Amino acid sequence: MTASPWRNAAMLAPALLATILLFGGALAGAVEQSFTPPLGGGFDTWSLQNWQTVLGDPVFGEAMLFSLRTAFFATVLSAAIALGIAYLLRSHGSATRTAAAFPVPVPHLIVAVVAVLWLAPGGLADRLLGSLPINFVRDQAGLGVVLVYLFKETPFLVVLLMSVMGRRMQEREEMAAVYGMGVVARLKWIVWPTVRTPLAVGSLIVAAYVFSAFEVPLTVGPNYPPSLGTYALEVTQSGAIEGAGEAAAALLLGALASIALALAILGLISRRWPTSD
Amino acid sequence: MIVGPSGSGKTTLLRAICGLEELDGGRIELGGRRIDDLPAHRRRCAVVFQEPRLLPHLDVLDNVAIGLVAGRTPRKTRRARARELVEEVGLEDLAGGGVKGLSGGEQQRTALARALCAEPELLLLDEPLSAVDPNRRASLMSLLLDLQRRREVTTLAVTHDRAEAAELGENIALLVDGRILQSDQPQDLFQRPESEEAARFFGMNVIHGQVRSGLLELEGARLAVSGPDGAGTFAIRPESVEIGSAGQLRMMVNEAVYLGSYVRLRLGGGETTIEAQVPVGDSPAAGSIVGVSLPESRLWRIPRP
Repeated sequence: MTASPWRNAAMLAPALLATILLFGGALAGAVEQSFTPPLGGGFDTWSLQNWQTVLGDPVFGEAMLFSLRTAFFATVLSAAIALGIAYLLRSHGSATRTAAAFPVPVPHLIVAVVAVLWLAPGGLADRLLGSLPINFVRDQAGLGVVLVYLFKETPFLVVLLMSVMGRRMQEREEMAAVYGMGVVARLKWIVWPTVRTPLAVGSLIVAAYVFSAFEVPLTVGPNYPPSLGTYALEVTQSGAIEGAGEAAAALLLGALASIALALAILGLISRRWPTSD
Repeated sequence: MIVGPSGSGKTTLLRAICGLEELDGGRIELGGRRIDDLPAHRRRCAVVFQEPRLLPHLDVLDNVAIGLVAGRTPRKTRRARARELVEEVGLEDLAGGGVKGLSGGEQQRTALARALCAEPELLLLDEPLSAVDPNRRASLMSLLLDLQRRREVTTLAVTHDRAEAAELGENIALLVDGRILQSDQPQDLFQRPESEEAARFFGMNVIHGQVRSGLLELEGARLAVSGPDGAGTFAIRPESVEIGSAGQLRMMVNEAVYLGSYVRLRLGGGETTIEAQVPVGDSPAAGSIVGVSLPESRLWRIPRP
């Protein structure tokens, strides 16, 4: 039986409505806030002053670069590690798969706090192993931030990848093996075409999340430069009324960067990577 | 041709030959060359699996040419070679298109072209017709036979369908519980099985009885049979059982099932149950008592193990 378009629309309506209200509403609110003059002026006046302030602030540029850098490394490394883990675990049973997914439901903040307890100078790792060769907490390069996101996002991508590395992919790998393909050729011709779309979409989610999140950089990240999220948080704390517009402008710029990345990746998927199944 | 019931180990055997299953013991040779110590991609076998296993991100030609990728053949040459095979299996109109819209039969033809394109030393067919619409089986079957004869590729096929086995195989081996019970030409297997299991698998009636003075005592009747006196097991094909008033055996028609081109009768008498086939117009009604003859020339005595 084929579901009618109306039935599909009705089934999707609650999710769409929630997305429109929560995401669209928040976005509209942020846009409105960003164009509100810092000293107020009612609904009939608008100003570019918040945007000019943010774009002219060298700290914003540093925050943008820091966020881009941590998002890039956290995404690329977690994608690569997840690909390897998922490939190795693809024929394991559900117990191993569940164990691999264990960190997914653990909140980011808890992981960040645990990371501080373990990795900060004088922390548990220091006491057990002696001093650590690399400083992960409050380090200038944001290694601790990347490490926490690796721990959190790799299992998320593993779960996503293993959902497509099922029986069907194994059957195709068998077919390719019988038709003369060694491991490397199978990775190129079977595994990569199967995983590239979910990997790209999952990586996009990870990148967008890491790019704008603030709790992990706030907990383990450096005091300077801030991440985009911590920058926005800090400007609201400098002055709740005038800071809100600047924070909205900063986060909207971050959102624009994420949307541009999403469009680029989705364009790549639709143009170069026709759907695998 | 390997034939056997589900779970008898047919697919496992095929997978072991092509290197997808490890051996517990023994060895596999192909053309005098030992291959069981080689990985799957070095055995030069091609398999047409039960399900076509086509790659959805490639078009028909690239799917067919997949066996040439490992040999580093340039893509243009691969596609040209694949086009020849695609034409040979009758899919030339679909050559440049994707594989998603193909019907089950077209997908299996593509899989067959892929296997032939790889120019294997051994072609393995794992129930190649099982996923195909019954109406299209006949054409795919004749294509398989035609290609096999024209290309002279050594082919080993497995199926659970005895009719398919008879049509495709020059030699058939019956595999039950991982053991070859009998290996023969189709006619021998269908007419002269060497075991009760083989007789039952090939659809024959199996009758146990005592033979005295060349006569089989069965449900009060005495039927002429060949062979020595004593306990004997006999097999007869349902289509060889004759129904008519002249029959020595009196049996009741327990079931009469119309099957299009004939009626299948299930006949019971005492402890003996026999299946017979009669033309559509001549079928007695269920519940009636009929005379049954088992012609001596058609009654095969199964050799003692």
